[in-house]
Amino acid sequence: MAQIMLDQVDKTYAGGVKAVSELNLDIGDGEFMVLVGPSGCGKSTALRMIAGLEEISGGTIQIGGRVVNDLPPKDRDIAMVFQNYALYPHMTVEQNLAFGLQMRKMAKDEISRRVREAGKMLGLEPYLDRKPGALSGGQRQRVAMGRAIVREPQAFLMDEPLSNLDAKLRVSMRASLSQLHDRLNVTTVYVTHDQIEAMTLGDRVCVLRDGVLQQVDTPQNLFDHPVNLFVGGFIGSPAMNIVTARLDRPDRDGGPAIISFAGYQLHIPVEVTGAKPGIEKYLGREVILGIRPSDFEDASLADPGWARMPVTANVTEQLGTELLVTFLIDAPPVEHEDTAALAADQGEDEAAIPLAGGKSMWTARASARSRISAGSRTELSVDTSNLHFFDPRNGLAIGHRSDPDLPP
Amino acid sequence: MTIRAPLRRENRAARTRPAARPATGPARNWRDGLFRRAVTGVVIALALVWLIPVAWTLDTSIKPENATILIPATWGVPHPTFAAYGADFSATDLGRWYLNSAIVTIFVTALTVITASMAGYALSRGTFRGKRLLFALILAGIMIPPQALIIPLFRELQSAHLINTYWALILPQVPAPIAVFIFKKFFDGIPIEMEQAAKVDGAGWLTTYARIILPLARPAIAAVAIFTFVWTWNNFLWPFLAATSPTMFTIPVGIGTVVSGVGIVNALQMASAVLGALPLVLVFLLGQRQIVEGVAGTGLK
Repeated sequence: MAQIMLDQVDKTYAGGVKAVSELNLDIGDGEFMVLVGPSGCGKSTALRMIAGLEEISGGTIQIGGRVVNDLPPKDRDIAMVFQNYALYPHMTVEQNLAFGLQMRKMAKDEISRRVREAGKMLGLEPYLDRKPGALSGGQRQRVAMGRAIVREPQAFLMDEPLSNLDAKLRVSMRASLSQLHDRLNVTTVYVTHDQIEAMTLGDRVCVLRDGVLQQVDTPQNLFDHPVNLFVGGFIGSPAMNIVTARLDRPDRDGGPAIISFAGYQLHIPVEVTGAKPGIEKYLGREVILGIRPSDFEDASLADPGWARMPVTANVTEQLGTELLVTFLIDAPPVEHEDTAALAADQGEDEAAIPLAGGKSMWTARASARSRISAGSRTELSVDTSNLHFFDPRNGLAIGHRSDPDLPP
Repeated sequence: MTIRAPLRRENRAARTRPAARPATGPARNWRDGLFRRAVTGVVIALALVWLIPVAWTLDTSIKPENATILIPATWGVPHPTFAAYGADFSATDLGRWYLNSAIVTIFVTALTVITASMAGYALSRGTFRGKRLLFALILAGIMIPPQALIIPLFRELQSAHLINTYWALILPQVPAPIAVFIFKKFFDGIPIEMEQAAKVDGAGWLTTYARIILPLARPAIAAVAIFTFVWTWNNFLWPFLAATSPTMFTIPVGIGTVVSGVGIVNALQMASAVLGALPLVLVFLLGQRQIVEGVAGTGLK
């Protein structure tokens, strides 16, 4: 087990494409760190630089206090799990597990002990004599994990290890991965594009975009205090609702501020504006307002103190545990490079039906007991203590304690 | 956020399709059957064109010599004899030629597989300056007819005093650009992660090549080995030039001398041809599956 430290790490490909720039990241001993971001954000490149499969163009990487920049992968004492598992198809499961140990000239009985142990831990005992071709996707995935575990390395590096599994298996493998980490407590760097995986697995999550670190924090902090519009939109599902809104304070002497958009006016509790230093500068100006779907509730079931928003439910989706209400608000979709990047990542250009007449579609999460039905006029409540405000120019969260290296 | 369009249109399409099928079904089956029969007929006709000379060779080889020159020629004889086969070993150096052919073919095949697979691996995975140029040069080698190289090659080996040795028979037949190409293409298709996993596991370049890559390349190895074996065994022109004394002849060269050395002896000549082709038949029978797999898997014609 070891600490992994990335200091000002750069990766520039031939032709000048910058995949990772000035990445600083301290991964604690035994920590489960998830690198997340849309495709092409440099997360895999960063992982491969830690593994030694990709040359480092600038900066230093340390594993366990040792600078590994010029060490080949085999000398870094790390094990890697690949997206396509990369099992050796001509070897049995047992030989696959043993290969890395044989390469290290380990004694035969120690190899068989470790292989048996890992096989037991992962429930692979019945398959040790089979070849990967005769295994199911989930079993192959476990063999890939096993190959990493038997090595007992200083760190596990995982490159989207669950993305080749079907949805149901992915959820159960996610849980067993989490258990495995609790049990082995080995420093793990995990790359995924799936923000739910990131949130559920990571001790801390590092959000990358275009090779630039956006924010590193615990999943809850990322969700509650996104550093910018991009992180706010990327983390959380359904995604945060955003709109261009006007911030005012009618009462000059420190009364509650009001945010107005699409014909709505919400009073912002004084504590909220008080906790966001510098927000005064935006009074009388436009900001981008973000409201998480989970900060809505059916008004008839909500805290009576919450602000109310009358809306017409467009579509409702009863999920059993909650009711998703989709409604239109009378404001054009926010056009910002952050939201454009998110839309491109989710392929929304193709999937979404274009909205007519400058409306944007919002989603609210209501209690499953809610009686809101599609097409009906209804009232939603908003928890105004969780409103998010972003600068309309640079997309940064207003008044964020934005030091990306704050300890968890 | 998306709203899915209702699926009604697809449902309607699905409903109409089964109704339309019965009308075309029997007609199509009938046409399919006819087509299949026609194709089978063509294949049989073509196979016969190839088979008849082979059958004639076999037939002639078991005739007494005087029966081979009868006019009109007939199929089969009342008293088949293997005298020609016996004469082959007693009157010619066939045993020696067999040995020469075996030595040359086995060495050429082994060396071709080793060097071409290594070169293919380097071209597929290596990162070095001039890689594309090198690959282009090797590809260009495919375009050059071997006949054009024969005189320079002969002069080269002559000046090295290697003519009429096994070296002269083996070495010039080893470099096979097409084999390099086949191996490169095959390695290109192996996921790079496999090698990276081996790298992380602690395997060096040579271990990865020998323990991961080569076992995976079995279809390519089989294809290259079998084709090289057949080509080399059958090769006439180069051994004919490089082997100047009868003791260095390979089978195809030796068979040629059966004609001129002992006069035209039909049965003997045919028996030699049958014996000469025998190893190839064996290779084919043993490697049939690998040949099919290799040809299908590597795009080799």
